[in-house]
Amino acid sequence: MRVPLGWLSEWIDLPDSHEELAARLTSAGLEIEEVIEMGPDLSEIVVGHVVKREQHPDADKLSVCEVDVGQDENLTIVCGAPNVDSGQRVPVAMHGTTLPGGLKIKRSKLRGVKSNGMICSRRELELGDEHDGILVLDTDAAPGTPLPQVLPTGETVMDFEITPNRGDWVSMLGMAREVRANFGGEVRHPTTETKPSGSPTSDAIAIAIEEPDGCFRYTARAVRGVEVGPSPAWLVERLEAAGLRSIDNVVDVSNLVMLEFGQPIHAFDLATLQGTIRVRAATAGEALRTLDDQDRKLESEDLVIADDSGPIALAGVMGGLATEVTAKTRDVLIESAHFHPSRVRRTARRLGLHSDASYRFERGVDREGQARAADRAAHLLADLAGGTPTDGVVEARGADAPAGAPISLDPARVNRLLGTDLSESEIRDLLARVDIEAEPAGDELTCTTPSYRNDLHIPQDLIEEVARIYGYDEIEATLPGGAIQGTSLAPRKATVAAVKDSLVASGLTEVMTAPWVPDGEVDDLRLAPEDPRRQRVQLQNPIHAEFPGLRAQLVGSLLRVAQANLSRQADALRIFECCRVFLAGAATDLPTEPIQAALLFSTPREGQLWAGHEAPVFFEAKGAVERVLADRGLSPAFEAGSDQPFLHPGASGTFKAQGRVVAQVGELHPETARRFGIEPVVAVGVLDVDALDQIGAQAPQYTPVSRHPRVQRDLAVLLGVDVPAGDVLEAIRRKGGAHLHSARVFDRYEGKGVPEGKVSIAFRLVFQREDRTLTEPEVAKAVARVVEVLAKNFGGELR
Amino acid sequence: MSAVADLDAVLAEAETAIAQAPNAQALAEVRAGFLGKKGSVAAVLRGIGALAPEERGPAGQAANQAKVQIEAWVDARKNGLAAAAESQSLADHHLDVTLPGAASRVGHLHPITQVERDMCAFFQGLGYSVEDGPEVESDWNNFGALNFPEDHPARDVQDTFFVKDSTNVLRTHTSPVQVRAMSQLEPPFRFIVPGRVYRYDLDPTHYPMFHQIEGFCVGENVSLGDLKGTLYAFARHLFGPQAELRFRAHFFPFTEPSAEMDVSWGEGWLEWGGCGMIHPRVLQNCGIDPDRWQGFAFGMALDRAAMIRSAIPNIQLLFDGDVRVLEQF
Repeated sequence: MRVPLGWLSEWIDLPDSHEELAARLTSAGLEIEEVIEMGPDLSEIVVGHVVKREQHPDADKLSVCEVDVGQDENLTIVCGAPNVDSGQRVPVAMHGTTLPGGLKIKRSKLRGVKSNGMICSRRELELGDEHDGILVLDTDAAPGTPLPQVLPTGETVMDFEITPNRGDWVSMLGMAREVRANFGGEVRHPTTETKPSGSPTSDAIAIAIEEPDGCFRYTARAVRGVEVGPSPAWLVERLEAAGLRSIDNVVDVSNLVMLEFGQPIHAFDLATLQGTIRVRAATAGEALRTLDDQDRKLESEDLVIADDSGPIALAGVMGGLATEVTAKTRDVLIESAHFHPSRVRRTARRLGLHSDASYRFERGVDREGQARAADRAAHLLADLAGGTPTDGVVEARGADAPAGAPISLDPARVNRLLGTDLSESEIRDLLARVDIEAEPAGDELTCTTPSYRNDLHIPQDLIEEVARIYGYDEIEATLPGGAIQGTSLAPRKATVAAVKDSLVASGLTEVMTAPWVPDGEVDDLRLAPEDPRRQRVQLQNPIHAEFPGLRAQLVGSLLRVAQANLSRQADALRIFECCRVFLAGAATDLPTEPIQAALLFSTPREGQLWAGHEAPVFFEAKGAVERVLADRGLSPAFEAGSDQPFLHPGASGTFKAQGRVVAQVGELHPETARRFGIEPVVAVGVLDVDALDQIGAQAPQYTPVSRHPRVQRDLAVLLGVDVPAGDVLEAIRRKGGAHLHSARVFDRYEGKGVPEGKVSIAFRLVFQREDRTLTEPEVAKAVARVVEVLAKNFGGELR
Repeated sequence: MSAVADLDAVLAEAETAIAQAPNAQALAEVRAGFLGKKGSVAAVLRGIGALAPEERGPAGQAANQAKVQIEAWVDARKNGLAAAAESQSLADHHLDVTLPGAASRVGHLHPITQVERDMCAFFQGLGYSVEDGPEVESDWNNFGALNFPEDHPARDVQDTFFVKDSTNVLRTHTSPVQVRAMSQLEPPFRFIVPGRVYRYDLDPTHYPMFHQIEGFCVGENVSLGDLKGTLYAFARHLFGPQAELRFRAHFFPFTEPSAEMDVSWGEGWLEWGGCGMIHPRVLQNCGIDPDRWQGFAFGMALDRAAMIRSAIPNIQLLFDGDVRVLEQF
C-alpha cells in the first residue's frame, strides 16, 4: 500500500525524520517495500546567495548578479527575472547541470556579458506553472546546499507491505492510527458535511438484503445534478501518488474515499437503476457484463447487487457496465457496503478479478464505517462535481458482522507468554494506544476492541498488541528452562547421515536436485510396464510442463546431472544423491516416501598422473557400496546380476543382508546410457536406505590379534575365464582351515604364457595361530587342502 | 729378521691395504688376508714357537697388539665405507618433489548438508531432538491444523504446488512436522526440523525447492523472551558473537504473537526468518491444552545460511549438481 507522506501528514502530525517513522512502523509490523520520491529530480540544483545585483549595461530587463554558490569564486549570472535582488537565496543551475525538462545549462554571453549559469523559476524546475520571476527560497541554508535538502520538491511515498490480517491498515485513516499508536498525537478526520437538500435518500432508492449471510450492511446515498468531468489537479496528483490513475471526478472521488477510509465505494448511474436494489445470491446461468467489458457467467455462490432488470454489480468485486457512471450521468447512487470477506474472495478468485475493492473486503473493513464513507463521498461530489446530495443514508442490515465480543485478558498471562513483568496499568495503557479499552474485572481485564479491528478474537491477539506497542526489542532475551525429554535424531536421519559419510569417504560428491522428472524418464530407464516406479505422484501445477511428476527413484535425476557435468568436460565424475522419493498410492492417500541413495562413477577420459592403477569404474562403485555396508557392520551376500533394468546384465550385482536386497550396482545399460546421452562407461549404485535403517548398524566388534608370526602363501592358479573368482575365493576361505587368517585376490593376468580360455588368478593366503607359532607341516597341509578343492571344484591348476 | 720386525712390516702393509679397500667385500678379503687362519699375522704367530723362550712372551704380546690394531683399522674403514655408501645412495635418489601430492580423492557433502548438521548439532546441545516428516502432505497438516482458514488471503502467499486429483500438496514449510510431532507427544518437548519445502516461485533469488529449518519448544512457561534468547544464541553461533537481531511484528496464522526477525549484516539488516508463540488453536488442533501449555516456534531458510556462509551468489547453483561448484565446499 502506497502512502504519500504529505497526505498522511494532513491526518496526523508526523515525526520530522522519515527514518524514525520508517523504523517504528517497520517494527510495528508495517514492512516498507520501497520509498518513492515523486516529483522532478533536482539533486543537481544548488542554493545560491545573490551577493550583488546590477543593471545590465546594454539591456533594460536584464540584471547582472554575483552569486555565491559555495565555491571559491562567486559566479556571474545574467538573469531576466524582475524580482531578483541582492540578499536573496535562490535555486541555481550551474554550468553542466540538466534541468528536469532536459535543458542542459551552459556558459553563455548575454548582450556581451558572460553568464555562468541560471537562476531558476518554479516552472523551470517543474515545481509549478509560475514563471513571473525566479523562485526566492525561504531559507538561510549555506550556498551550495543541494536544493532538495531545503525545498520539498515532491511527495515522498512509502510503499508498505500489508499482512493479510490487517485490513484496517489499508487506508490513510489506518496509517494515521498506527502513527498515533507509535508516536502519539491526534488523528484529524476529513469533513463529511453536506448541506441539507430537503430530499431524503429514501425517496431516491430502496434497498433489500436477501442474502443476509453475504452482506452485513448496505448503505447508499444519492447525489443529484453532478457534472461529470475531469478532477482538479490536487486530486489527480494524490491518486497518482497512491498508485491510481485519474478517470473522472466521480470515479476519482470513490477511489479517494476508499484510500482515505479503506471502505470501497461504488457509484451507479441512478437513472439506469430499475426498482429496488437487492443484494442476493446469483442464480446459476445469470450473466453480467462487468466494467471491463467482459461477460461474466455467474454461479449461485456469487453475491450480486441486482435491480428489477437482474444483476448490476458483483458485490465487492466489480460493477456492471450497464449502470456505469458516464459523461451523461446526472444523478449518482453511492454504494458503501460491508460484504462477507469469503464471499468476495471466492468470486474474485474464481473469476480472476482482483480489484482494490475485493482486496479490502477480503481483509475486512470497519463494520461501522459505511455511512461515514458514503457521507464523505457525498461531500466531495458536492464540492468537486457540483452535485446536491440527498439527506442521510438509507441502510439495510443483514446478519451481524462477526467480532466485537469483549475479550477477557489475565495480566499474569500476558507476562507468562511474553516473559515480561508489566503491571496491569502498563498493559491497559499499551492497549489504549490501539483503541482497546481494558476495564478491570476481578483479576482480569475486560477488553473491548474497536469496530475496525477484525483480527482480535482471543487473549493472545491482545498480547500481541501489547508486545507490538511495548516493542519486541524491549523484551528481555532468556533461554527456556524446564525438563528436556532427550535429544534424539529422527529414526532415518542417523542412517542417512552415516550413508552420506561413507559415500563421501569413497570420494563421492553429494548433489541435490529437484524431485520433478520428465515423463519419458521411466522409458529411458527401461522400467517394465508393471514396475510400480512408473506410477508417479503428478502435480496439478508443475513448474515446468515437461517435468510434471515426482520421481519414484533417483537414478534418472543422477544421470541427468551426470550428463550435464560430462558435457561441461567434467572427468572421472563421482557423485551421489540421498533423499526421499515418492511412490504413489491411491490418489487421495499420501504417497510413501522411501529414502534412497544413488551413486555414479564415470570412467576417466584423460590421462591421469600415476595412471594405470585405477580399477574399472564398476569396481569403484562396488567398493563404494561395500564401504557403506561395511561401515554399518554388515557382511552382505553378493550375487552377480540384478533386476534393475537400467543396469548392464553382464556387469551388475546385488547385495543382500538378512535376506533383503540392500544395494545394487552395475555398469549402465548401453540403451539407457544412449538415451541419457552419456558416452563414457559409467557405473551406478543404488542403496535402499530404509532397508539399511531397518536392519540397523552393528558397532564394530573386537577380534583378538595374535602375537605369533604370520605365514604367507601365494598361489597362482590357472582357471577357466568363466569361473567366478569370487566363488573360488569363497571356497578357499571355507577350506583354508581354522588358521587361515585371510585370503584375497592380488593379481589377475591373461595373455602371454597363459593358455587361451584361461586366466591366471593369484591368491594370497595368510595363516596365523593365536596360541603359538605355526609349524611348516600345518601350513603345508592347509595349502594342500586348498589346492585340492581348486582342482576338484574349479578345474584350477597351479602355475 | 725378528718376529717383531716381521709384524711391523705386516702392520704397515695392512694399514695401506685397509685404507685402499674400495668396498665392504674387498675389505673383508683384506681382513682375511691378515687376520684369517692363513693370514700374515697367523704366519708370524706360527713362527713364535721357533723363538727362544724368553723372546716368545714379548713376541706374542706384539702379535696380539697387531691383531687388535688391524681390527680397529678394519672397523674404522668399514664405518667409513658405510657412510660413503649412504651418502652416495642419498645423492643418487632424487624425486621431482614439485609434482602435485597424490592425496586420496575425498568427496564433498553438499553445503546444505553441512549447514544442516551444524545447525542440528547446535540445537541438540540445547536439548532439542531432530525430527523429520514427509514432503507430500495433506491439506490439514500443511494448512488446516496450522490455523490457515479456508478462503483466507493468508493462503495466497504460500504459492503452493498441488498434487493432481487430490487435496494433497507439496509441503510449503516444515511446520507440518510440528503438527505431526505435537499430535503424538505430550509436552514438554523441543524439536528442530530441517527439511525440503516447495513453493511455486522461480526467479534469480527463488528456487521452487529450498530448505527450511524450524524449531519449536513447548512447556508451561516457555515465553517470547525465551524465543528471543534462543534465536540470539543461534544467530551468534551462525554469524559470530557480534550478531544483533531485530524483531518486527508480523502475521502468521500459526503463531500469535508473531514476528519476523532480521540479523545484523555489515552495515544493514538481513531478513532471517519468522517466529512467534504457537497459536493456541494450533496447540488445540494437536490435542494439547493451550491453557496449560505454551511455546514458541521459529523457521528460517537453510539455503540462505549456506549461501551467506560461503558467499554463493545464486540459489540455483546449489541445485544444478555442477561438480565444479559442489567440489568447492
